[in-house]
Amino acid sequence: MMTVTGVGVALPGADSATALATASRPGDSVEPAAVLGKKGLRYKDRATQLGLCAAQRVLTDAGLLADGELTVDGTRTAVLVSSNLGNVDTVCRVVQTIADEGTHGVSPMDTPNASSNIIASEIAIRWGLKGPNLMLCNGPASGLDAIRWGTALLRSGRADHVVVVGVEPDNEIARRLVGGPLADGAAAVVLERAEAAEARGATVRAVIGAHTRGLDVAGTIAELAEVESEPAAWYAPAAAAPALSQGLPVHDLAAVWGELSGALGVVQCAAAVGALDAGADGPMWLVAGTDSDDGVATLVLRPPVPAGARPAAV
Amino acid sequence: MRVPIIGVGAVASVGRDADEIFANLCAGRGGLGPMRGFDGERYNGKQLFEIDDRPEPGADRPLRATEFLLDAVAQAAADAGLGDDLSGVPVLVGTGLRELRSAELWWRDGAPFGADRLHFGTALRERFGTADTLTVSNACSASLYTLALGADLLALGEADTVIVAGVDSITESMHGLADRVQPNPPTALRTLDVNRRGTILGDGAAAVVLRGEQVRWPGGRLWGKLRGVGMTCDAKHPTAPDPVQVAEAMRQAHRLAGTRPEDIDMVLLHGTGTPLNDLVEITAYGEVFGEAAGRPVLTGIKPMTGHTSGSAGLMSLVTTLQVMATGKVPPLVNLEQPIEEAAGLRLVRGQEAKHEVGLAQVHGFGFGGVNAVAIVEGS
Repeated sequence: MMTVTGVGVALPGADSATALATASRPGDSVEPAAVLGKKGLRYKDRATQLGLCAAQRVLTDAGLLADGELTVDGTRTAVLVSSNLGNVDTVCRVVQTIADEGTHGVSPMDTPNASSNIIASEIAIRWGLKGPNLMLCNGPASGLDAIRWGTALLRSGRADHVVVVGVEPDNEIARRLVGGPLADGAAAVVLERAEAAEARGATVRAVIGAHTRGLDVAGTIAELAEVESEPAAWYAPAAAAPALSQGLPVHDLAAVWGELSGALGVVQCAAAVGALDAGADGPMWLVAGTDSDDGVATLVLRPPVPAGARPAAV
Repeated sequence: MRVPIIGVGAVASVGRDADEIFANLCAGRGGLGPMRGFDGERYNGKQLFEIDDRPEPGADRPLRATEFLLDAVAQAAADAGLGDDLSGVPVLVGTGLRELRSAELWWRDGAPFGADRLHFGTALRERFGTADTLTVSNACSASLYTLALGADLLALGEADTVIVAGVDSITESMHGLADRVQPNPPTALRTLDVNRRGTILGDGAAAVVLRGEQVRWPGGRLWGKLRGVGMTCDAKHPTAPDPVQVAEAMRQAHRLAGTRPEDIDMVLLHGTGTPLNDLVEITAYGEVFGEAAGRPVLTGIKPMTGHTSGSAGLMSLVTTLQVMATGKVPPLVNLEQPIEEAAGLRLVRGQEAKHEVGLAQVHGFGFGGVNAVAIVEGS
């Protein structure tokens, strides 16, 4: 059984799962220096800084970090980051500078940021996370894909703890590319096997159910319905709503935060856990991607199983 | 684990398909040439390993990486007898630079481009009807990372067949940032040479088709079997590699494969030709192989293909499978004086070598300290 054992949130005005689950509009923008301290932030791009904020909070929330020290084996801890726009601004800015001034105008400090996996590698560097390190840039469904592939790393025994981060920065270049303002924030979850969570005394916040990936919303949901019990709530983009069962709450997080792009699925997970923490009914069915995208991913989050209700041997 | 590899495809500066690439590599013919898509006036380094498909010199167009990828995937699918309908087949793409070259042309020149083409799922769906695609942007080890994910997916029983691919087209930002700090840029890529002066980027794409171990399929060629892929992260420095986790990736690959260094007949090096990469790679190799370090032959393809970034790992894997099929090993061209740390090693130099390879080790290391090592055996 795969579980969520921690949530980290760094969205404007929301710094926890609870704040995310109850927010109705964005607040003040995230100040990374206030979360992380000023040291070492100078040449890191905005996406990396936001990702580090969410990562620090999720590691702390999950109990993987205490007094600045990792409490588990860093070589058994994987990092998956999902972002589509992460370093697009750096790349476009550099190519414009070369056109305007030649290469002497560019800063060598931009070199690490020209590689899209800078967010995932900086998170690994900051806390010594030496397990598999993956940067997913997979379009609208990318955030839920990251959760799915995070559980795959656990199931295949490649890691015991997986930090999944979804992040999208807001800037002029990214806005022009997606056609509107972005969330300028990040969310993160820690995934672990139930046994690993129990062994270190961690609190299970949600149980990860089935996932599907397909060409359209109706088809992927129908596939999910074959193996999962009816949802109590949806987390889905507005454009997916017509295909969802009626009469249930539908949380369209982009309506609150702006374009979430590759962060969406992870923000959905964080918000759903925040709702479960507050006693909301489950299961939650999460949908990222719509019929007009290249693919649709779904994922089910269930409330944690009370200790006494668990079968003796699984 | 013995995951059958039943199809291969590739495109690079040195050839438009896997066979042409391999023939040129064995002949020692490289693809370095004057830059075709960028303005040469702006750079010290005016040579790249490009795929020559631009409309005219100095002019560029968007979505070349996407085209390279579709080409390599189509080749691999055809080789495996899958055809053009891949609706039930996950396609996992490793890349360093995604379609960031198109983003550059969009921002600077107003070329048509949208966020839906930054990743490759949109084009893969249009061409092959895929529903389950993944773009992993893991720098220069990206396609060996997706190789590991693909093998895991089969082992977990989530698919019968998986296509794993790697692709990159050179971005001007990446070339320009490297050029900025190279007033005297390399005129050749010299893996393990004392006079190596850095890497030179290349365009490329490669793909392989993996089948589940228990799955029976009608006919088709068995290229080889994937035994294991190790993946680690340095967690040390954003751009400089660290020998500790590079060595650990090799050890992990052997643990997963159930093999030992002394079983290896050939090592396909990452070999970027930068002073630090080659030193770290050969140091870690020496540490892991110990007394067996002098046993396998060592070679690399980047002096002829250039550093094809996200596709580099799979390009090396496809080359390895062809070595196994033919007994011919392409040479490390441009290697005149090996570094001291490589003394006593069986470097393939000058011209192709005849060598029977039953088990090989393939390296891929990247920015961000992402390391991946694959062990593959012949059919």
